[in-house]
Amino acid sequence: MSDTKAVPVMAEPETDDRARQRTPLQRLMGARATWIFLLDIALIALFTALSREGVFLSWLNTKALLLSGAEALLLAVGLAMLLGAGKFDLSLGANLVMSSVMAALAMVAMVGAGAGVGVTILAGLVVCLGTGAMIGALNGMLVAVFGINSLIATLGMLGVITGFALVATGNGQDVTGFPHQLQSGFGLRTIGGIPAPALLALTVALAMWVVIRFTAFGRHTLAIGSAPLAAERVGLRVTRHVMSLFVLAGMLAGLAGFIDIAHYQTTVINGHNNAALQAVAAAVIGGTALEGGRISIMGTIWGVALAVILQNGLVIIGVSSAYQLMAVGAVLIVAVGLDRMSSRRP
Amino acid sequence: MTTRTRGVASQDPPLAIGAEHVAKSFGHVTALRDASIAVRPGEIVALCGDNGAGKSTFLRVLQGIYRPDAGRVIIGGQEVDLTSVRDAQALGVDTVHQDLALAPDLSTVDNIFLGHEIRRRGVLGGFGILDRAEMAERADAALKELSIALPSLTVPVRELSGGQRQAVAIARAVMWSSKAVLMDEPTAALAARQSRIVCDLMRSVADRGLGVLVVSHDLPAVLEVAHRVVVLWRGKTVLDAPAADLTVPDLVATMVGHVKEAA
Ligand SMILES: Nc1ncnc2c1ncn2[C@@H]1O[C@H](COP(=O)(O)OP(=O)(O)O)[C@@H](O)[C@H]1O
Ligand SMILES: [Mg+2]
Repeated sequence: MSDTKAVPVMAEPETDDRARQRTPLQRLMGARATWIFLLDIALIALFTALSREGVFLSWLNTKALLLSGAEALLLAVGLAMLLGAGKFDLSLGANLVMSSVMAALAMVAMVGAGAGVGVTILAGLVVCLGTGAMIGALNGMLVAVFGINSLIATLGMLGVITGFALVATGNGQDVTGFPHQLQSGFGLRTIGGIPAPALLALTVALAMWVVIRFTAFGRHTLAIGSAPLAAERVGLRVTRHVMSLFVLAGMLAGLAGFIDIAHYQTTVINGHNNAALQAVAAAVIGGTALEGGRISIMGTIWGVALAVILQNGLVIIGVSSAYQLMAVGAVLIVAVGLDRMSSRRP
Repeated sequence: MTTRTRGVASQDPPLAIGAEHVAKSFGHVTALRDASIAVRPGEIVALCGDNGAGKSTFLRVLQGIYRPDAGRVIIGGQEVDLTSVRDAQALGVDTVHQDLALAPDLSTVDNIFLGHEIRRRGVLGGFGILDRAEMAERADAALKELSIALPSLTVPVRELSGGQRQAVAIARAVMWSSKAVLMDEPTAALAARQSRIVCDLMRSVADRGLGVLVVSHDLPAVLEVAHRVVVLWRGKTVLDAPAADLTVPDLVATMVGHVKEAA
């Protein structure tokens, strides 16, 4: 029986060392998310100390921080999911704008037709999610079915969608005139003191964390990013999975578009040109691998927080927010650079 | 000389996996002309041949990646029509690939269960939540059964050594196959000592009653570990003989087509 074929135990002391299990503390301290979180805390302390009467940490400003981070978080989380599978979506910001425009136009039309407020707002939400999902599906088709590099496909789509949004609004006239209850009832609403859009975005992020951590969908996403060919050979339905990731990220962009019009009570067609790149920066700063196979949703949250804290903090202490761009860029390079150096083995 | 090109029609003990007179072309390239092989349960059959002989293509036909232009594929004694890897898997055939088909960022447990994840019972399972504990337990048991010892089942497999990774790939294939395990050059990237371990693993797999079909260039190892050897030459099966009747020079001569011309 099997004892006659006893295989020598694979003892290879020279190499085994690397594969040792890490303690929870080692894992926590080894995670990029932890360091970015600590950096966030340090920045909060710094800006609180520098701002007049510590106004940075006032409840009012904290709420503003949370609100301005909500849309960025939705985009960054969707992008992190795609990056996990080794795919990009540079059209997320354009998707946000397009979704908000379509929803705004639909709501204005419904108001004109005398539809009720509740129905109109619900329709706005459905149009946002639907538009986002459709754009995502189109991206997914280009990438997963036609095999176009995702950077190129979504760069092309970025142009197409942006142009389309301009055409649909008569050369970029922002759309207004939909029920103000959208703003008062959701966009500027707080629940337990926390802005509703921020709660929504955090709930979505939490759900995505569960998906990545605890579900087969999450494992498959990482497997596809880690070794696409292996995933295919193992029998995973890679095309379908990549499609669904693009649709998911697109829907989250649509949801961000809904938050956008709820927050500002108008479309903001020209305000999201860098949104997709900021999402990439936030996800990668937080430890999501650009080459796929590794996602950190926690890190993405802290990466988004970093951008928001810097932006808001610099304004409060009277420094040009242009420095925010530099700071986020520098952190991005330093974080990824440190990772590269530490993973390079002699 | 042992140049018998045996037919594979006889199926008294049902074949674990086999193929008869398979042909496959890619445009103008004829990869397989007349390839046949038969692997019975508990048997290790080595598939040899020069570079470009069609070994990998043949293996892919048996896995359902390619559909043959002509010929039959047999699994568990039944003729089958495979349209994808999933078909072959469902019939109990799994593969260890030449370039390890593991996801380096995933753990051993996750790799072994990739595409076969176990969900929790009840509501959580309905949401797709995985039963991590159960998966870890079963992976551990499967590895132990093959006497594979790893420092940790939860670190990413990229941190394991080449031999350990190959062992994980084999354990994975064994776990999900009920009929046969196919291996494409499983020792090509390994040092001598690790190759021995993989050869021993092949024996334990065959002892479990699975058919093992292995493509290898390591002829001394092939003759030692395999029960039978099949040689492909330019897409055609030119030799199918017990390993005990063969020597390395015989094999080499057949592989380069020398014997074929003489015959
Ligand atoms: N997908 C393919 N497209 C075109 N030609 C192929 C393809 N796969 C294999 N071939 C050709 O078929 C022949 C057999 O290849 P292969 O099965 O890889 O041989 P081996 O594994 O024995 O070295 C080679 O000439 C190879 O170039
Ligand atoms: Mg080959």
